[in-house]
Amino acid sequence: MMPTAMGLAFAGFAALSLAMDRHGEQVLGRRGLPAWQRRGLRVAGSALLGGSLTAVVGQHGWGMGLIVWTGLLTAAAMALAMLLCYRPRAVPMALAGIGIGLVVTWVGG
Amino acid sequence: MKDGFRQSMAWLHTWSGLLVGWVLFAVFLTGTAAYLRPETSFWMRPELGVSRPAPGDAEVALRAMQGLAPTSPSWFIVLPDERETTTRVFWRAGPGRGGFREAVLDPATGERAAARETMGGEFFYRFHFQLHYVSVLWGRWIVSVCAMFMLVAIVSGIITHRRIFKDFFTFRPGKGQRSWLDGHNVAAVLALPYHLMITYTGLVLFMLMVMPWGVERAYPGDRAAFQAEAFGREAARPRVGTPAPLVPLAPLMEEAGRHWPGARISRVNVTNAGDAGATIQLVRADSERISFNAQSLTFDGATGALLQARGENRPAAEVRGVMYGLHIGRFAGPALRALFILSGLAGTVMVGSGCVLWAVKQRQAALKRGRVGFGVLLVEHLNVAAIAGLPLAMAAFLWANRLLPTGMTDRAAWEVHVFFIAWGACLLHPLLRRGRRAWVEQFALGAAAFALLPVLNVAVTERHLLASLLGGDAVRAWFDLGLLACGGLLGALAWKVSRHRPAGAGRRGGRVPDGAEGEPARAPAGRAAPAIAAATDA
Repeated sequence: MMPTAMGLAFAGFAALSLAMDRHGEQVLGRRGLPAWQRRGLRVAGSALLGGSLTAVVGQHGWGMGLIVWTGLLTAAAMALAMLLCYRPRAVPMALAGIGIGLVVTWVGG
Repeated sequence: MKDGFRQSMAWLHTWSGLLVGWVLFAVFLTGTAAYLRPETSFWMRPELGVSRPAPGDAEVALRAMQGLAPTSPSWFIVLPDERETTTRVFWRAGPGRGGFREAVLDPATGERAAARETMGGEFFYRFHFQLHYVSVLWGRWIVSVCAMFMLVAIVSGIITHRRIFKDFFTFRPGKGQRSWLDGHNVAAVLALPYHLMITYTGLVLFMLMVMPWGVERAYPGDRAAFQAEAFGREAARPRVGTPAPLVPLAPLMEEAGRHWPGARISRVNVTNAGDAGATIQLVRADSERISFNAQSLTFDGATGALLQARGENRPAAEVRGVMYGLHIGRFAGPALRALFILSGLAGTVMVGSGCVLWAVKQRQAALKRGRVGFGVLLVEHLNVAAIAGLPLAMAAFLWANRLLPTGMTDRAAWEVHVFFIAWGACLLHPLLRRGRRAWVEQFALGAAAFALLPVLNVAVTERHLLASLLGGDAVRAWFDLGLLACGGLLGALAWKVSRHRPAGAGRRGGRVPDGAEGEPARAPAGRAAPAIAAATDA
């Protein structure tokens, strides 16, 4: 469950970062996404983060779940920050990888 | 008005951080190492094989204590578990507040473990809250005061950081002071819940020492009454004077099993063994709950009757227990522990980058004034020893563990002396080698010291990496790999600092292509390295 939650947290942060000017440009190579796309990214990002919280709490309960989730958020955000800094173009690939991983997990489990 | 407030917070942040930054860096780094306390101890006693806890361990330990300390008023037995492979015992040497003795026992035989004398992981753990060479009380006071400054620095830092969400994921390497600020912010913001939690809970652990007034007002001159009411810690039963053997342990363990189904007993405390007034206390394992408000059952040692059940339904004590538990993180399995270590390292980077950032700013201000004064040089000098010197000293501690002769008197103490001798040498070294050279050399030596430890293992022990892998000794294998990783991280830092061209030259002349400074660095700490050089280029 930990990899699932981690993947969801990373994807959530990635969506939130794409809605930001600087990172949107780093990753997509163009500035100024339309407002509705930004809003969509923000909603999707928040939903993904919520999904990762649900996954962790579902497994560990609230007390331990919140602790694990906070730790996961730190790790996911750091990984994303490093990727945005050194390999911004790899972010879409990472997202695709996470998507495939999640689908495989759901189908397999 | 708002700007004025931010300005004053920025001032507070800078000074509260700087005053205690070097101590906090050491506290964070050794505290992070303390998450691996049992593993470090195991690695540092290469004579010991892998052993699994067995149901009879407690019985064996009690028999051993009857031989080791038959007249001691109290025994404390820490049983082995999934991580700790030895039985650790402590006992009061004499009546009253006499000193403590301790021993490390083989769980299966109860004999003293046939291993070299070492403090093991205990050293980093104890150093991180009570330092060394000063009395325990002084050490705890110093660390507590530093932790209070830390809390002030965190809160004022949040207020000062006006672009906390805009710069959430932002790190721009190779831009001198800008990069330092980014690195400082990313390490601080992304692990902020951890930093707040660890600092606050650390203070809560020492709340009765730091702020005793509330308790003293409510229970004047009677700390024992407070202990009894708050934590259910009853005063010790007095010695009766009539000899009586201890009851067998097995029925008491069964009783505990009925009380907490499926629970494990982690500690056994005995008072007045061999006397009719003896008590036996069984303490539930703290790795099973977040809270470190120990649940225990106390039995009459002569009759086996249950006297008291402790640690339940006490909300205030449970709140403190949860905070204590969060701080030491003993409930964490391997994955969560890895996350704690990552956040601990982020804290270390946050403090270290803060110290360097201060030096960068001071030097710039001094250059504007036209003269770099003694204060700036002193801060830069201490930064080298505190930040680059500490990991080197930690590696020296592990080298001493492998190289000091096993029969030597005070061997364990000498391992610690070696740690401080190495650290002291790092403090003198920048006198001879100025600025960037001192950083590079200390990082490089630290990298070599860590990376060569697994090699040294091949030469002086039977527990080298290959043997660990083949023998299924996962802890030692991971530890050796971890040492290599530490070496790699420090090596990356040394490399980054040595390759750096002063940021100003690169920008003005455009001679340094972007890629030269923006080399991908796998190590998270490596990203901020270029500005170390910026800070130290005279």
